Amino acid sequence: MKTINYQTLQETLYFEEMDNGLHVYLLPKKGFSKTYGLFSTNFGSIDTSFVPIGETEMIKVPDGIAHFLEHKMFEMEDGDASNAFAKLGASTNAFTSSSRTAYLFSTTSHENECIELLLDFVQDIYLTKENVEKEKGIINQEIGMYDDDPDWRCYFGSIQNLYQQHPVKIDIAGTVQTISEIDKETLEKCYHTFYHPSNMMLFVVGNIDPQQTMDFIRQNQSQKDFKKENSIKRMHVNEPTDIDKKEQTLNMDVVMPKIIVSMKMNDILEDPKEKLKRELAMNVLLDLLFARSSALYEKWTNDGLINDSFSANFTQERDYAFLQIGGDTLEPQKLKEKILDLIASLKDYPLLEEDFERVKKKNIGVLIGVFNSPESIANLFSRYYFEGIMVFDLIDSVARLKLDDVLELRNLFDIQYTSTCMISPKS
Amino acid sequence: MKTVYQMQGYTLHLIPTKKFKTITISLRMQSPLLKETTTLRTLLTFVLIAATKQYPSTKLLASYLDENYGARLSTNVMTKGQSQIMNIYTSFVNDVYLPQKEQLLEKQIQLLSDLFFNPYIMNDAFDDTIVELKKKELKERLQVAKDDKFSYSLDKLFEYMGKDQTLGIPSTGYENEIESVSAKTLYEYFLKCIQEDEKHIYIVGDIDEEIVKIFKKYLQFPENSKDYPSAYTFTSDRNDVLEVIEKQDITQSKLNLGYRIDCNFTSDNHYAFTVFNAIFGGFSQSRLFQVVREENSLCYYVSSSYDAFNGMMLVNAGIEAADYHKTMDLITQELEKIQKGELAQHDIEIAKMMLENALRKTNDEAGSMITLTYNRDITHKQETNDEYIEKLLNVKKEDIIAVAKQVQLDTIFFLTGKDFDENN
Repeated sequence: MKTINYQTLQETLYFEEMDNGLHVYLLPKKGFSKTYGLFSTNFGSIDTSFVPIGETEMIKVPDGIAHFLEHKMFEMEDGDASNAFAKLGASTNAFTSSSRTAYLFSTTSHENECIELLLDFVQDIYLTKENVEKEKGIINQEIGMYDDDPDWRCYFGSIQNLYQQHPVKIDIAGTVQTISEIDKETLEKCYHTFYHPSNMMLFVVGNIDPQQTMDFIRQNQSQKDFKKENSIKRMHVNEPTDIDKKEQTLNMDVVMPKIIVSMKMNDILEDPKEKLKRELAMNVLLDLLFARSSALYEKWTNDGLINDSFSANFTQERDYAFLQIGGDTLEPQKLKEKILDLIASLKDYPLLEEDFERVKKKNIGVLIGVFNSPESIANLFSRYYFEGIMVFDLIDSVARLKLDDVLELRNLFDIQYTSTCMISPKS
Repeated sequence: MKTVYQMQGYTLHLIPTKKFKTITISLRMQSPLLKETTTLRTLLTFVLIAATKQYPSTKLLASYLDENYGARLSTNVMTKGQSQIMNIYTSFVNDVYLPQKEQLLEKQIQLLSDLFFNPYIMNDAFDDTIVELKKKELKERLQVAKDDKFSYSLDKLFEYMGKDQTLGIPSTGYENEIESVSAKTLYEYFLKCIQEDEKHIYIVGDIDEEIVKIFKKYLQFPENSKDYPSAYTFTSDRNDVLEVIEKQDITQSKLNLGYRIDCNFTSDNHYAFTVFNAIFGGFSQSRLFQVVREENSLCYYVSSSYDAFNGMMLVNAGIEAADYHKTMDLITQELEKIQKGELAQHDIEIAKMMLENALRKTNDEAGSMITLTYNRDITHKQETNDEYIEKLLNVKKEDIIAVAKQVQLDTIFFLTGKDFDENN
């Protein structure tokens, strides 16, 4: 077991790689009642074309299958994993993102039993034709819930606009059509390919003794057999540089219009350190331009273009990256023009050292706050982990940023790769 | 260590703990929930943190907070039964995690004081430009809330069920009353709140008694001995169930049910009802989730919640329009089963464990620690978490059946698609 000390945060992280390839990280948190375990696989909604384990041909699986599998994992031969956690007084949940699926428990007692249950239910699969069919009704209601959510539709529409080929343009849950195509055999193929220990990571944080917990996990893993690990072959997506749609307007039964201007980034970095630096510098740049303390936020508020729903976000995942800027507005056309004008003339926009230092402080403070909550630590850790980034390095990385790191990002802005998604009230 | 201090015009509650990297302060101002003041109070929470005399714009105030390592300053309004609470909340990094001592604690307490005693005013009124901007912002916030069909349908349930009663008064005000508020009337109301609201301040983090001196130095309100009522039991003289169906152009229908329960936060049977709700629909092991979702695949979400301060229970689910009657029947059946005593000891035990686990977890989050203490403070309930858990664990099957029998459906609000057929 390795020990890593993080001075700024006053935290100690413990790590071990199991014989089967599983990476385990433990973070004891003094004074906390709660223990939170998160078991993640590097498999998300964009992984729809790959070579299944033990096979040689690339296959295409139905959209939404990672999320569908997430729902079905809770079914065990002798009952439901949620009920088994409940018997321990614990609660459990799971979520699927574009590149990850994660299973979690949260408890204030029976920590070892919970860890064991989490490992055991995710490391085994029990599917029947009937239980696969039954899940379709539930997932269709989940999809329906998002259909009526204007924020989600605008957010997702603005991503769809950017991509011609990349599966990030497909909803994480799939569609009612693709869900109907999912069957037991395909789910099992996905499971055996992506739920191999060497493609997974366990993070446990909270009221735990690291030595004793690690021994317990090692013991659990040594009792299980897995196929020999082989590296997963995913289809490389040949995404053209051009965007798919310049503009999309969705008419919904709502009162308030919304707009998001999105921008596709074609320059995708490989090196994790460079990638992280770009993300942190971009967050600083977006704060300098659009946060409440910025001149633009004040001006646009006073001009009646934005309210406190306005935000700007940078997303950078495995092989894609984009920006989203927008919010609720009674003047969607005007706001769109303002944002596009800014992107076009960004090189002339004054970015001052003094403001940069202030925003850097803010970003450091906000990141320190994240380490209050076991859930936030675990979720953020897992988010960065499969990208090769350790979340505990974030704060020091922000502290090292220079104004030049921010200024050079302006070269990435290009009006040609922007698009607009609008939610418009049906009259 | 003494943790409760009677200060001038407010009660100060210390919650010392070393487990967080930040310090959190929450000032809670309580006054009766009234139709006449709900809009004013909501607007006030917007205007209050927009500026101070020293930082006379949102931009300048936000810059000051950025400079203090992203210290947060926010407000919200909520109801606690018959009371409406303005919550002024700030959290900031504990100095020990920063490269140098920044005195953030003292600075934030001073800022809190400035919000009240050095506000950005002119001629006995708030700044007109700020007030007009915030009026627009509140109006837009209320409009956008309607676009969230989940919260819209919930608000509608309260509106119909609580018509002419406290339950029907929205905690975030009335859209059509915003326009008539002026910078002057709002400032006058603000002065009244400083005088008449019942005030509690909570501070959570790595602190000790020394902090009391800092509060004494910076923050004093006019003395008052107000003690406003909060928790009550919702009642109505309705004999039949009120059913309201609204049609919109939407995909998923939202079913909301409001129940009378003859019980609230201060009742003796509060504990039995808490366990009942956990068995009925409070968790994913509960009857509603298991039967409506898992066995019948009718929905993605379904749950019941016990609103202990309004003394009522609600159930909500997102379903297909065509499944309306089927879902209603299943919910009714599950309630009747518990009322008839069809209740395994095992289910009771699981519900109690889930409640205990949920309660212990609140100790790991500053906001929920404050909420838990505050609920007890405004109802004068002397009870520790351990005592509360013990009371839950002592609830017997008969007690659960007894409270289940008091549950009566009062109002249904069903938000559904344009092609919904009532006679299907």
